[in-house]
Amino acid sequence: MSAVTAAGPFRWLVQLWAVVVKEVRQTVQDKRIMALIVIAPFLQLVLLGFAIDLDVDQVPTIVVDMDRTPESRHAVAALMADGSLTAVGTAGSPSDADAALDRGDAAVVLIVPEGYARDLARGEPTQVQVLLDGTDPTRSGIAGGAAVRYFGEQGFSLAKQRLAAVAPDVQISAIDVRSRLAYNPSLSTPIYMVPGIAGMLLLIITTIVTAMGLSREREVGTLEQIRVTPLPTAVLMLGKVLPFVAVGLFDVTLALTAGVYIFDVPIRGSMLDFYIVTSLFLLTTVGVGLFLAAVSKTQQQAFVGAFLFILPAILLSGTMTPIHAMPDWMQPMTLLNPLRFYLEAIRAILLKGASLSDVPVQTAALLVYGLLILGFASLLFRKRLD
Amino acid sequence: MWLFLTRVGAMAGKETLHIRRDPLTLWLGLALPLFLLILFGFGISFDLDHIPLAVVDQDNTTESRELRQLFTAGSEFVFAGALDNPDDALDAFAKSQAHAVLTIPEGYAAALSRGENVEVGLILDAADANSAQQALARADAFAQLASAQAAQRRGLDIAGSMPVSARTWTRYNPAGRSALFLVPGVTAYVMALVSVLLTALAVSKEWEQGSMEQLFATPVRRAEIVVGKLLPYLGMGIIQVLLVLVAGTWIFGLPTNGNGLVVALGSLLFMVGMLGQGLLISIVARNQMVASLTAVMTAMLPSMLLSGFMFPVENMPLPLRTLSNMVPARYYIQVLRGTLLKDNGFAELAVPLMLLAAFATLMMVVSTVMFKRKLA
Repeated sequence: MSAVTAAGPFRWLVQLWAVVVKEVRQTVQDKRIMALIVIAPFLQLVLLGFAIDLDVDQVPTIVVDMDRTPESRHAVAALMADGSLTAVGTAGSPSDADAALDRGDAAVVLIVPEGYARDLARGEPTQVQVLLDGTDPTRSGIAGGAAVRYFGEQGFSLAKQRLAAVAPDVQISAIDVRSRLAYNPSLSTPIYMVPGIAGMLLLIITTIVTAMGLSREREVGTLEQIRVTPLPTAVLMLGKVLPFVAVGLFDVTLALTAGVYIFDVPIRGSMLDFYIVTSLFLLTTVGVGLFLAAVSKTQQQAFVGAFLFILPAILLSGTMTPIHAMPDWMQPMTLLNPLRFYLEAIRAILLKGASLSDVPVQTAALLVYGLLILGFASLLFRKRLD
Repeated sequence: MWLFLTRVGAMAGKETLHIRRDPLTLWLGLALPLFLLILFGFGISFDLDHIPLAVVDQDNTTESRELRQLFTAGSEFVFAGALDNPDDALDAFAKSQAHAVLTIPEGYAAALSRGENVEVGLILDAADANSAQQALARADAFAQLASAQAAQRRGLDIAGSMPVSARTWTRYNPAGRSALFLVPGVTAYVMALVSVLLTALAVSKEWEQGSMEQLFATPVRRAEIVVGKLLPYLGMGIIQVLLVLVAGTWIFGLPTNGNGLVVALGSLLFMVGMLGQGLLISIVARNQMVASLTAVMTAMLPSMLLSGFMFPVENMPLPLRTLSNMVPARYYIQVLRGTLLKDNGFAELAVPLMLLAAFATLMMVVSTVMFKRKLA
């Protein structure tokens, strides 16, 4: 074979090629694994992108209008026009509405008290009651906030009118917030989630495929057969790892393409920077896979091990909700997590147009963690082989 | 009947021995649920909390400093430093030093003292849309408050005599804590994950190693193999539910005023369904790697994403909402949230309980039939 006869410094390259080809053939042969590597990430990204929509609007509301006047109907209609709440029914009494809340038919009950219009006309303070289903705090917070804001604004402008009637020269200033939404003016959730999902998929697939591919070979006993060949251990490991790195790069490209075309995720930074940080992150995922393959005896153990690494890594990374919302004692733990730095870096590069020099800490952290983990795993794997 | 029980018992004993000899499985089954509960309960929070806010104070008066303090007094925003120019905002965002920039214009205090309207600027890093949406609403509320305070300073008490206002009462979760919302979801998620995964792996391992054929050579019948193999995992599942619920009560103050019987029935039905699904996967896959990845795709992800665990089902497009009707975790979460948070009983939860029972029956029947056919 040419691998054996090739001379000099290129010999290891030829050997490496042979290992890569073997590995690719072995993987390609199993159609089910190919489907999981190629189709699943794409499907998942699309599914996740559509599934994760945290935008709260149209919260189902039951209206209990005990006043039944044009004023009360106008107030209800104006509040609904804002879009945060949507009326799904009316109830005659607060206790009927309460039962609807219990059954989950509605999440908000808006109670306009009897005498609402009369009190307004007389200038007596009146109060609208809003009963919220607090099971989902985000939803109840936004629904309650919308009601409080609407009636607050009404109250404020009414108070101003009354004051103007009494004392025409006194002015009351209103402080308005003029807001500008950078990067994501339509407040679309997928724009934030797609990079997170891409990172998550990269982590899951490359770690699991590396760990299980190697431990399978050990379980079946073919690893010993390869050891009998004249391959140096370093070349063997590199050859086994390279196809998985390629899988990772392929998957992340696929995920990003889907994100751009389906969810309008912007690419504001340089793709080169994106691939550089992605490659640095792959050092970690492949390293963890190699480590797991080294320490586990069976595929089941390797898989469980991958799991025990992947889940906390995802939860402590800010994939879904921001890190600054975690309790103070938990935040430092995220500094041990390469995924955290990867997501920060790719979100900054893709969404905010950052370059590598804007994210020096993240890049350095990925490099250091990657080299440490992959180096340690290679040593361990080598030791287990010999 | 007696023989049936003996043979099932023998299978279950054999499987228990497998579990006991594999510390990783045991650890996955018992410690992982608690670990996940803590990570999810504390780590995932959709609340507006600690948004780093940079301030461009072009007015530099007592009033402008008061506005800054008003914004950062609560837990929603934390002061992340002063900026000279609002144009530096994007740079601060790119470096992740701030997520919001408040600009107080020159002449802010002067305008307030004259009773003129004034605009403050708020630039938000809206990449995280959920936080941005909440921050926007919060900032509006602060501005309203500041307006009332400014009027009060000039002797015009507006806040005290608001002609109309709204008062909110929050039921079921008055403190509005994400954790109470998430704990029932974590329970369903962890059980779906662990049950499907462990059964899928346990059975596909027997195929892969060829010991399934040996089992068939014994007088144990097919159905008995199925029941016997699943029983230990069912036991483990029951311990998991108890562990997670007890820990949820202790750590996160999950209320336990619901109907225990409904919780028990719902948990049992859900678990049998999940074990059946794991069995079905292992019969179709026959290979541990494929079985485990299939379990991840069909149990772990849907239970997290399409169940209403974290992301509201109502917001999803129609095809996904339809799909979510087929995810049993959705109904189990409905049962848990209903009983634990809302004190619902059988009357309110009859439909989800029936759907869970239907799923469990379907899975067990299909997998037993497939199992028999596979060997014929």
